[in-house]
Amino acid sequence: MDSEKADTPEQSKSGPQVMLRLTNVSKTFLSATQTVDALQATNLEILEGEFAVFFGPSGCGKSTLLNLIAGFEKPTTGEILLAGEPVAKPGPDRLMMFQEHALFPWLNVIDNVMYGLKRHGKFRFKPKMRAQKARELLRMVHLEEFEKASIHELSGGMKQRAALARALAPDPKVLLIDEPFPGLDALVRAKLYAELQEILITTHKTILSVTHDPSEAACLGDRVFVFTGRPGRVKAEIRVDLPRPRDMSDPKLAEFSGRIMSELEEGAKS
Amino acid sequence: MSRANGKSYKYYVLGFYVILFSAWQLLYTFGAIPEYLFPSPLQVARRLAELGTEGLLWPSIKATLVRMVIGFAVAAVIGLFIGLLMGTSRIVNSCLKSLFLGLQTLPTAAWVPVSLLLFGLKDEGIYFVILMSSMPAVAIATSDGILQIPPIYIRAAKTLGTSRLAMPFTVILPAALPSIVMGLKLGWTLGWHGAVSAELIKSSVGLGFLLSMGRELNDASQVIGIMVVTILVGLLLDRFVFGLIETRIRRKWGLDQDQDK
Repeated sequence: MDSEKADTPEQSKSGPQVMLRLTNVSKTFLSATQTVDALQATNLEILEGEFAVFFGPSGCGKSTLLNLIAGFEKPTTGEILLAGEPVAKPGPDRLMMFQEHALFPWLNVIDNVMYGLKRHGKFRFKPKMRAQKARELLRMVHLEEFEKASIHELSGGMKQRAALARALAPDPKVLLIDEPFPGLDALVRAKLYAELQEILITTHKTILSVTHDPSEAACLGDRVFVFTGRPGRVKAEIRVDLPRPRDMSDPKLAEFSGRIMSELEEGAKS
Repeated sequence: MSRANGKSYKYYVLGFYVILFSAWQLLYTFGAIPEYLFPSPLQVARRLAELGTEGLLWPSIKATLVRMVIGFAVAAVIGLFIGLLMGTSRIVNSCLKSLFLGLQTLPTAAWVPVSLLLFGLKDEGIYFVILMSSMPAVAIATSDGILQIPPIYIRAAKTLGTSRLAMPFTVILPAALPSIVMGLKLGWTLGWHGAVSAELIKSSVGLGFLLSMGRELNDASQVIGIMVVTILVGLLLDRFVFGLIETRIRRKWGLDQDQDK
């Protein structure tokens, strides 16, 4: 599962490679009383190093799609390829960050960050390198002074940053973020957006996130996929070609967020 | 719990015991209770000191404790394992839950006749009683703790690449730890009950043995004294072994604070 070895035919071409390819992916939930088309057949490609945002109201299939990519759910039809390999079960190559931080309270901050490194991969049997890598990541999210802290001692924003460090530790090919930073106040969020973009610039991570906040979508996304509900499907795709790091107060950003929102409203009317 | 305000009530508690023991002593002094029925605190203390100098008290405490440590360790390991199976498999849980809840309602002393039938007067019988007394509590607390784990920890562990083998040791058991420690604490107390009950009949050394010896000698002071010792040793372990572990875990997890979210 070494990321270096996962060469695909696409990588011989020039330009950014396709990291994630979804072909005809759909999901239908069957219950005793009804069937729900959570997601209609979806085709999309996410390029390496791209930040894609799934935007839409609740129940539009965006979280379902994220769960399919993470491997928590199996698609009813279609195929998901990560760097050419079909996706089966959850794994650290498609690491998911949850709405709640999901940090383990029985471990301190640095042990949480090292958790994934202990499970597999090149750091598995190298405790010293593991600690070094974890400290590096904690520095990146500005938590280097809190490595021995218990989880409950961190503030909400610090918890999310620790969760981000833990998610980046196993060096996932794609980082999946289910609603980055909910329940935090606007100031903390603005700071976290800035940090996330900083990390994006330095690590060139491929990131997929889900949100129902149009300004967040415009601030973070290279491409924003607008979803509509019942049945869930991708209605439009908007490319946000603003330079990074982007500032939440940038009027151009507000323009994009307006465009994203109007796409959604058009979808609601039809 | 009231541990946080425990300090401010310390003197009340102290006062309560002073009054309790003085009342006991006074009832005796004024002849309200006949001496052969119920001894005075001073007589109890004197008898305990005698037992100590006769070399009976300390070896008995030690014998009971050693039996407890061994029997409880076995019970804890088995209880954890069964609890893990119950917590991770619905089938095992639905089969064993009622059985273990049933076993837990059984008074620990009820295991003594069975152990006499199975092991005669051998020491193994005492271990058997300890095991059967404490193991169900550990198993039930472990499985309850596991069933209450927020699913998000399991999802997070899966996405971080936790194998099926590593899952119980790195996530399931640690996540259930607060509940497991409560189960171990309860299991220890029940095992302590079982050990003393079994020693009443089966042993020639131990706190239970001193109790039944006191009864045979018609020595109320010894009976009451050993009861007090049994209470004190039990309390001491509860406070200083399990209490400290529990406090440490609660502090690490932040369970004693108000959630400021």
